Amino acid sequence: MSYRANTGHPHATPNFRNLVIRPMWMTLKTALRTIPFVGRLTILKNDYHGKPATMVDAATKERVGSDHPSVGQSFAPDRETSQVMPFVERPVTVMYPYERLEDLEPWLFVPGNYNGRIGIIWETCTACKLCIHACPNDCLHMTTEVRVNVLELSEEGDEWHGYGSELEEGGYAAREKEEYDAIAAGFDLINAHADAPQQYDFAEVIEISGDKATVRWSDGSGIETVDSTSLKPAEQDIVSGQIDLGRCMFCGLCAEACPFESFFMTNEYDGMSGFSREELWMDASRTRVLPTVHQERVDMELAKRAEKEQKKRDRKAARAEA
Amino acid sequence: MTSSDWLDVAGWSESFSNWSMDNVHDVLPSGDIDMQVTIPSTWAWPEPITMGPIFNMQSGFASIQPALESFMHATIMCTVVFGMMMTTMLAIPYIERKFIGRLMDRLGATTTLRSLWVGESGVTAGEWWNQLPFGMGAPIGWVVNALNSTWGNSHELETVARVNNRSYHGYWFLLPGFFQAFADFMKFATKEHIVPKNADKVVFEVAPVIILATTIMVFAFVPFGPHIYAANPELSLLFMMAIFGIAPLGVFFAGWASNNKYTLIGGMRSAAQLTAYEIPLLITVLGVAVLSGSFNIIEIVDFQMGQDEGNVWNIFLMPLGALLFLVTMIAEVERIPFDMPEAEAELVEGWWTEYGGIRWGLMFAAEYMRSYAACILFALFFLGGWEAPFQHTLSNLPAVGGIFSTVFSVIPGLIWVLLKAWLLFAVFVWIRASLHRVRTDQILEFGWRYLLPLSMLNLVIATILRLQFWTGGPWDLWVPAAVTLVSGGLFVILAIDEDEEALEIQRRPYSTQAVVKASPGSHRK
Repeated sequence: MSYRANTGHPHATPNFRNLVIRPMWMTLKTALRTIPFVGRLTILKNDYHGKPATMVDAATKERVGSDHPSVGQSFAPDRETSQVMPFVERPVTVMYPYERLEDLEPWLFVPGNYNGRIGIIWETCTACKLCIHACPNDCLHMTTEVRVNVLELSEEGDEWHGYGSELEEGGYAAREKEEYDAIAAGFDLINAHADAPQQYDFAEVIEISGDKATVRWSDGSGIETVDSTSLKPAEQDIVSGQIDLGRCMFCGLCAEACPFESFFMTNEYDGMSGFSREELWMDASRTRVLPTVHQERVDMELAKRAEKEQKKRDRKAARAEA
Repeated sequence: MTSSDWLDVAGWSESFSNWSMDNVHDVLPSGDIDMQVTIPSTWAWPEPITMGPIFNMQSGFASIQPALESFMHATIMCTVVFGMMMTTMLAIPYIERKFIGRLMDRLGATTTLRSLWVGESGVTAGEWWNQLPFGMGAPIGWVVNALNSTWGNSHELETVARVNNRSYHGYWFLLPGFFQAFADFMKFATKEHIVPKNADKVVFEVAPVIILATTIMVFAFVPFGPHIYAANPELSLLFMMAIFGIAPLGVFFAGWASNNKYTLIGGMRSAAQLTAYEIPLLITVLGVAVLSGSFNIIEIVDFQMGQDEGNVWNIFLMPLGALLFLVTMIAEVERIPFDMPEAEAELVEGWWTEYGGIRWGLMFAAEYMRSYAACILFALFFLGGWEAPFQHTLSNLPAVGGIFSTVFSVIPGLIWVLLKAWLLFAVFVWIRASLHRVRTDQILEFGWRYLLPLSMLNLVIATILRLQFWTGGPWDLWVPAAVTLVSGGLFVILAIDEDEEALEIQRRPYSTQAVVKASPGSHRK
């Protein structure tokens, strides 16, 4: 696999040259540039300094239209120090976010273990909420709902039968409410200012022995042992996952707590600012890390789950034999 | 044969001591002073008893005169060296401030204050001197107006720049900011002295004294020139390095006595760093001593200056040693990138968190004194001390050699030492501005696994050079040339080398290393 760093530059690696020699040369250049007359030497110039930078990117230009006053405006930092001593130059800052230092100095890199923006592979997240319990600042928020997967509703003979999951200890189960049809018939969806009625009672499965399953009902009605045939397997689904980045201190405890390799502190430092506190609430789409970026970890997690599934089936087969 | 220049401070001091003591001797009465008391005879003792001496003040003084002369000489030299150190050290924080300030486009308080009395665009600050009775303030007004017309700002745009404090608009030769050190000292001196409630009070008070005293003692053995030193024992190098290593002990005391977790961690780190860096430092210095054949700092410089010995600066004979000395000295004086004991980002200034006022100020000064001492030592050990660059080559040029040798004889060696030391300190600041602080484990690994073997290698190289290639006279020029070229080539090869392993680790843009979960007992695996 060919190497691609964050900058896409093959030389952005933590070696002696990039960690010591180049930073020192860069600092020396910056310092010497402020010395009268010496600062004018070509060898001390960076090719990105003194060039006007366009302040509007292509997408914005398309959005605001070509008549907008900001289109065509360029910004160049004033490098001249004063009218009296025009030969003294000042160090020039990089015009972030219009420019980024990694783009201008491609050898620079953000260390891989830098705790930056939170990234989550939602595809492998199981909503176990360990990250939320680990968070010292209460900045992670997740709403989940126990649901019956439609695949699990398919009857024998249906095309999709057999693709759902099975009842398992520690999982969730659902039982259809007997009076649901009557409730649903009386529910006025348009005028009722209330939640839609639940079709199922949900429970956690404590133990499965033979045809009997011991469950704890989620509505608080206690523990009960029922026929497992009356239960459908249910699962916890994520309704929303949000991070209040304004509270986050980037400690990384959440990433450490994740048992499924789905939670990461990326080394990305960009895109974490806003004009209001509300803008710092990042929803799932802003924390998403594509599985392809972390394909190794996703593969590892999938292998783990496949192994678990295989063990379960082996156990079931052994039980059937016995 | 020792090197010499016209700035013979030690000689002057000695002759002044001798002269003044001779004068004291001469002023004393020359005749015998009869201090005898005779008790006449009585019935109890038939003979009269005579007690007391016949005292001659001149001969009595002559017996203690050599001791007094050397005491006076030592006092004068200590004062001279201390004063010279304190005066020239003003440049050290100045260099640091200005270098960092230039990088960050910060100008400093003096420039900002200057605008108050010089004024802006021909308008001075309120012309308050006109409010004084009887026109007493008129001279102030003349001065201010004169200053304003010569050094003030006449252009509106520059005024804006000044108000926004965003450009360098002073005159560099006024050295704005040079006297900030005095302002800082005043501030420290007037601040309250606070001892934490639960501190170990005696040790808390003793620690700054240990640090400052040992730091100043280092300068007793550091010569500023061939004749400017407070003490010059045969083994001055050993004395000096021994005293240099005491201050970290004071640091540890300070960290412990403050009774604060940050200071304690800082003190611990200081101790750990000390063990990892002191040994390579001493072995490197031993290499210098082996190469120069002396444990005396002045003789080490003489060896490089080439009075019928060597004639090449040590940096060209052992560049590796120079690099090691630089690195270990930066660690020894606890500067970035090896400032773990006082890592301000994580330890709140580390071991001196709890200090304030003049104690903090003095420890801060001690820190800079140690850096300054390190710079001077580098100049003395590797950069030829008080020899001008290429002094012999330039002086032996066919036509202009005489001019050069005249110029070099006029400039005292002190100037070259100071210039080299300040330049070295600029390198310290440059390193500080460029590199990031390394982690504790990285520091220790670097110290034990790289610096220690490298310093041993350096010692071997020094021994071989001394025994095999040194003929007792000037060096054959091919020896330093070959050493320098080979070392430079190796450095370049190391610098351009791509680290394949690092490439492999950094394949992913994000941190994908498996996190070791913190659970009870997991550290035992």
